[in-house]
Amino acid sequence: MTTLSIGLLYGAATLLVMFAGMPIAFALGAVATLFMIAFMPNGSVDTITQNVYEEMASITLLSIPLFILKGSAIGRSRAGQDLYGALHAWMHKIPGGLGIANVFACALFAAMAGSSPATCSAIGSAGIPQMRKHGYSGGFAAGIIAAGGTLGILLPPSITMILYAVAAEQSLGRLFLAAIGPSLLLVTLFAGYAMWKFRREYHAAKLQYERSGQESELLRIDTMTTRDRFALLPRVLPFVILLTGVMIALYGGFATPSETAGLGAVLALILIAVIYHVWTPGELAPILVSTLKESTMLMFIIGMSLLYSYVMSYLHISQSTAEWIVSLHLSRWILLITILLMVVVLGFFLPPVSIILMTAPIILPPLRVAQFDLIWFGVIMTIVMEMGLIHPPVGLNLFVIKNIAPDIPLRDVIWGVMPFVGLMIVAVVILCVFPEIATWFPDVIMGK
Amino acid sequence: MAHGLDPVETGQGGASVSDAPADRVLAAVNRVIVILSSIALVLAACVLTYSVVVRYFLKYSTDWQDEMSVFLIVGAVFMSAAAIQAQRGHIGIEAIVGLLPKRVNHVRILLVDAASLAFCGYFAWKSITLLHEAIVDDYHSSSTWAPPLWIPYSLMTAGMILLSVQLLLQIVAGLRAPDPAA
Repeated sequence: MTTLSIGLLYGAATLLVMFAGMPIAFALGAVATLFMIAFMPNGSVDTITQNVYEEMASITLLSIPLFILKGSAIGRSRAGQDLYGALHAWMHKIPGGLGIANVFACALFAAMAGSSPATCSAIGSAGIPQMRKHGYSGGFAAGIIAAGGTLGILLPPSITMILYAVAAEQSLGRLFLAAIGPSLLLVTLFAGYAMWKFRREYHAAKLQYERSGQESELLRIDTMTTRDRFALLPRVLPFVILLTGVMIALYGGFATPSETAGLGAVLALILIAVIYHVWTPGELAPILVSTLKESTMLMFIIGMSLLYSYVMSYLHISQSTAEWIVSLHLSRWILLITILLMVVVLGFFLPPVSIILMTAPIILPPLRVAQFDLIWFGVIMTIVMEMGLIHPPVGLNLFVIKNIAPDIPLRDVIWGVMPFVGLMIVAVVILCVFPEIATWFPDVIMGK
Repeated sequence: MAHGLDPVETGQGGASVSDAPADRVLAAVNRVIVILSSIALVLAACVLTYSVVVRYFLKYSTDWQDEMSVFLIVGAVFMSAAAIQAQRGHIGIEAIVGLLPKRVNHVRILLVDAASLAFCGYFAWKSITLLHEAIVDDYHSSSTWAPPLWIPYSLMTAGMILLSVQLLLQIVAGLRAPDPAA
């Protein structure tokens, strides 16, 4: 059989078992094993367990469960509400300040927790009711939280970035730093939109008041004393110190990424014990169980995705596909757009972890030939995958929003989120025109 | 990805529950394993923190902390795989589920579980042979600490056997379930 036939068969078999609803991890493992038996030398399949173990036993990959533990500890405490409350107190005088406070709270929380849905849940559960109480439309409030939450997979410590670093053999520290500029760009775009949209809703409410005398909550001005503003700081500062401390540990050369993950998890558990008195086994159990659930599910997908990629590479499927893409001599921007569209389509069905590990061996060689910076591409790919979290058909963040604000119709949530998808596309275009937004910071800190 | 959230928090997923004695035994085993695995995760975090602390405050390096954490986390992941499967926590593409009639969907789940069992059972069997080799040939890791590899391999083997048993019980429960179209 030719490589092309084997490759097509491999792809078809994968699609078949995945769309039949087989768990992604088992589907990838089963297809890889069948093709090992059918097309690889006798005895190859005997090493399947050793392959999976050795791939999973990477200390970089195993930092993922520890980052999840840190995120879960912070996500299940009241830290999200307190963070949001403090930012609201400090920003309430700015037009649209409540919406902007939510965007900033999402960004800060995402950087501490490293998870998009956890950010949505933690900030949204306090932020959405507050925004609606202040007259924001349901769709707008939901859009701010869903989009703000996506920063969880872009801002360090991002699990998606860890996997990309492993798959693309790039420096994790450099990738984390490269994500900071684009994250700030997205935060600025989101906050700018929140301010613009608030002004529109505010003017509409004002007009209605002038016409009918019906007063909207949007027109009400909050008053907060200096004491209110400072009252929440003591609860928030330790978490901000944790965030900066972990970053200093990583970039100051004090700890490796995995040690940073361990240190972050321990510090997060200590902080929630000291500040929120969450320390009894009964209170810690939901944090630990949810960490275990997500870690096991993810690590199985990662282990089997790596086995799947190994078989694809052994049978020369990935190399042949990559060579074929290179032989098309596409212009570098057409190549980039094609690859990003493929990532968007895959995002309809697959979680970012699988997309990265399954496609990296195919898409990275042509991108390298086209002289794209792979650190920069990692950031772009992550932003594109962020969109998958807020647009149908999957849009996990939409489900989280639906769950914390069940009375907002899904249609309103989706329409509220769409402008943010547009802003992400704008961010990708800006990053293509000014790649330095991503590459400058790591170059300054770590050298070229 | 649920990212630290229960299915109930994302409004997705659902567990299959049965009262058969074998299910109850496995559920009890899973409960113990989840507790031990949770402790293993926290221990791994503590071990890595310890290595940072002793390196910077006591000025000496340890050579065992990375591997110890790997063993703890890999062990926790494999051992808890069955508990996660019991709640259908290993995610799949459910795009066609809503389009199928109930009876066809019931058959689909059975076939998917059977295929998953075939793979996990095969993986478990290969894990047993790897574990046997590691014990007989006295495999050790190549690091300076050089711990014996039967430790993580035995956790992987036990986890995959439990996962296979869990899948088998889910298939049996599916076969016993009343006709969903009736």
